[in-house]
Amino acid sequence: MKKRGRGIGLSFYGTGYGNGFPDVSNAWVRLLKDGKIGVYVGGAEVGQGAMTAFVQIAAEALGVPHDRVLLEIEDTLTTPDSGTAAATRQTYNTGNAIKIACENFKEKLKEVAKDILNLNSTAALEVKDGEVYLEIFPQKRVSLEKIADFLGGNILEAEGSFTAQTTKLDPETGQGAPYWPYTFSACGVELEVDTITGQVDILKAVLVQDVGRAVNPHLVEGQMDGGYAMALGYALFEDLNLKRGVMGNRKFSKYLIPTSMDVTELTKIIVEDPESTAPYGAKGIGEPVMIPVTPAILNAIYDATGVRITELPITPEKLAKAFSDFEKEG
Amino acid sequence: MKREFKVVGKNIHRVDAFKKVTGRAIYPEDIFMENMAYGKTLRSTIAHGYVSLDTREAEKIDGVLGIFTYKDVPNNRYGVVYKDQEVFVSKKVKRVGDPLAFVVAENEKLCDLALEKIKVYYEEIEGVFDPVEAMEEDAPKVHGKSNILYHFKIRKGDVEEGFRRSHVIVENTYKTHMVDHAFLQPEAGIGYIDEEGRVAVIVSTQYPHYDMEEIASTLNIPIDQVRVINAYVGGAFGGREDISLQIHLALAAKVLKRPVKTIYSREESFLAHSKRHAMVMRYKTGADKEGNLLAMETVIIGDTGAYASWGENVMRKAGVHATGPYYIPNVKVDSYAVYTNNPFAGAVRGFGATQVPVAYEQQMDALAVKLGMDPVTIRMKNIFKVGSETATGQILTEGVPLEECLSKLVEAMGYPYGKEAYR
Repeated sequence: MKKRGRGIGLSFYGTGYGNGFPDVSNAWVRLLKDGKIGVYVGGAEVGQGAMTAFVQIAAEALGVPHDRVLLEIEDTLTTPDSGTAAATRQTYNTGNAIKIACENFKEKLKEVAKDILNLNSTAALEVKDGEVYLEIFPQKRVSLEKIADFLGGNILEAEGSFTAQTTKLDPETGQGAPYWPYTFSACGVELEVDTITGQVDILKAVLVQDVGRAVNPHLVEGQMDGGYAMALGYALFEDLNLKRGVMGNRKFSKYLIPTSMDVTELTKIIVEDPESTAPYGAKGIGEPVMIPVTPAILNAIYDATGVRITELPITPEKLAKAFSDFEKEG
Repeated sequence: MKREFKVVGKNIHRVDAFKKVTGRAIYPEDIFMENMAYGKTLRSTIAHGYVSLDTREAEKIDGVLGIFTYKDVPNNRYGVVYKDQEVFVSKKVKRVGDPLAFVVAENEKLCDLALEKIKVYYEEIEGVFDPVEAMEEDAPKVHGKSNILYHFKIRKGDVEEGFRRSHVIVENTYKTHMVDHAFLQPEAGIGYIDEEGRVAVIVSTQYPHYDMEEIASTLNIPIDQVRVINAYVGGAFGGREDISLQIHLALAAKVLKRPVKTIYSREESFLAHSKRHAMVMRYKTGADKEGNLLAMETVIIGDTGAYASWGENVMRKAGVHATGPYYIPNVKVDSYAVYTNNPFAGAVRGFGATQVPVAYEQQMDALAVKLGMDPVTIRMKNIFKVGSETATGQILTEGVPLEECLSKLVEAMGYPYGKEAYR
């Protein structure tokens, strides 16, 4: 028999290494020969979109179009340590480090512009649209390209570093501020369960994600789609078939993950509430997007059938057995 | 604060999109170097026992350039938090898939042949595969004298008093399983000596500067003599935080003075990287007649498998997030990371905070059922708001738009809110 139900799940996620461990990101910014700007960080692009977020944050801070920023992240020889691409920390931590480095870099640009423009002070100098200009007399202006020319071979660069604020938890009471910031998520699903076969079909799914501020809304939505699909696999499909330390399922023909056929259309809602300690208010969302989905599915199965599933994964075999046990017991 | 941004908030194309969709992005598998050799790893097939190797016959094969074992590693120990992993097992195997040796040869076929010719002698001992059993005094020990790697506690208020005052109490045990990251690109890399004589490794990693430190530390060379180049990464999700093949490649390249390349098969990839912690979560949650949460007590046992990896941090994060995003005045949490002879568990998207909602969100619904309340109303009463205090005493001073998230969810779902009680 097919039964329908709805369920929701809420979750929160604390960003960063946490527990008072120094969570540091470093960034370097350098003026390149053609007036473009090089940004150097050790933060990895693992598909989450870090490179794009870094470029957008740098371009915003420097007041240049994004294609004037050249990002380098690959080589330990030429980039500073920006911590791991994990713990949902790159946009927040390394984003902050880049913003600080860019602000320091702007001060250095103004110093050079002061000399080029024959000014006595850097006061009222502004960096915008690839130029440094005097706000009170905008005819006094010089492009970054001209500044690079003026410097010849001399390198103009600045550094930025950001360390997140957390405290070590008390070992006996667990009291303290272990993570910051926290990011919030909500998911709802409507599904249909076949009580004979144990098959679960998701009919409708909504994921609402607090982001602080979306640096790039399309990339946020991409993460939401990915997190949803990953949670679907966690809840319904993925099984290592682990017995006495041996993984029975070690290839994708046996270890099943969702395909495009399994993933229903997901309604994605982004909630913006800028975080004051974050770069332009942007909190990380890489992990949070996955978290509320599994409990929403579990609660919807209960709503549909009256059976509470307490053990993952919810495979058809397990579900069918749970229903037949439930009916026997009444 | 309303402020107009020029670049932030705009849907610019991913800066890596063009290279990726046109096949120009270079992954380690794509790299070929002059005079390049290949490496393959010999791994344990048992979960717990003593091991010894006889490599003499394999070494005689023409075209086999080197067989590296623990004897070749200056400092054999590494690990993200605790140095409890060995580059190659010296004595005791602790899980299926532990690296025993690294064979380097002129081609991959010769590597396979050499792997077959290495004689592996095991003396199997009893293993432990259930984290609850592993906590018992007389359980077989994976490392040292106890399998309990870490115990995290929260003690806030008085849970007994909170349960006494509760109108409804829900008690359940929830279990989650180990899963893989299932990223698309299996591990691959190439080690070589760069133009300045540094040991260089091209790999797909989440943290190149950490890999650099571990290579320097295990090979006992100055850190400025090591270089890690992060190629394009085909998904990670926490599975590329621990070392996999980085040290093997660096060691072989340093000794042989030749580029050495390794590509894991999918099946080896499953053996090589961490898994999501399986957890057993015993929950007891109490609320008053109006649905206000009064107390929560939980014991969470996490299976960190054969090695610590991020186990301590994962179980701390699970413990800190155990209440869910709800204000509860009385909280008692005991969260454990426990060694077993299972695959080692480490970082996976959500890092402990993904497992606990399987419990805390079902507890919320179960309480709602008992109270004849709908699931939205009970949550609205208890969710974190600006100024809320968490179970660890942290004050959420800003950025808590959970009520807005829930309201938007209810609207988009057409969810009954305050209208009908849960069935």
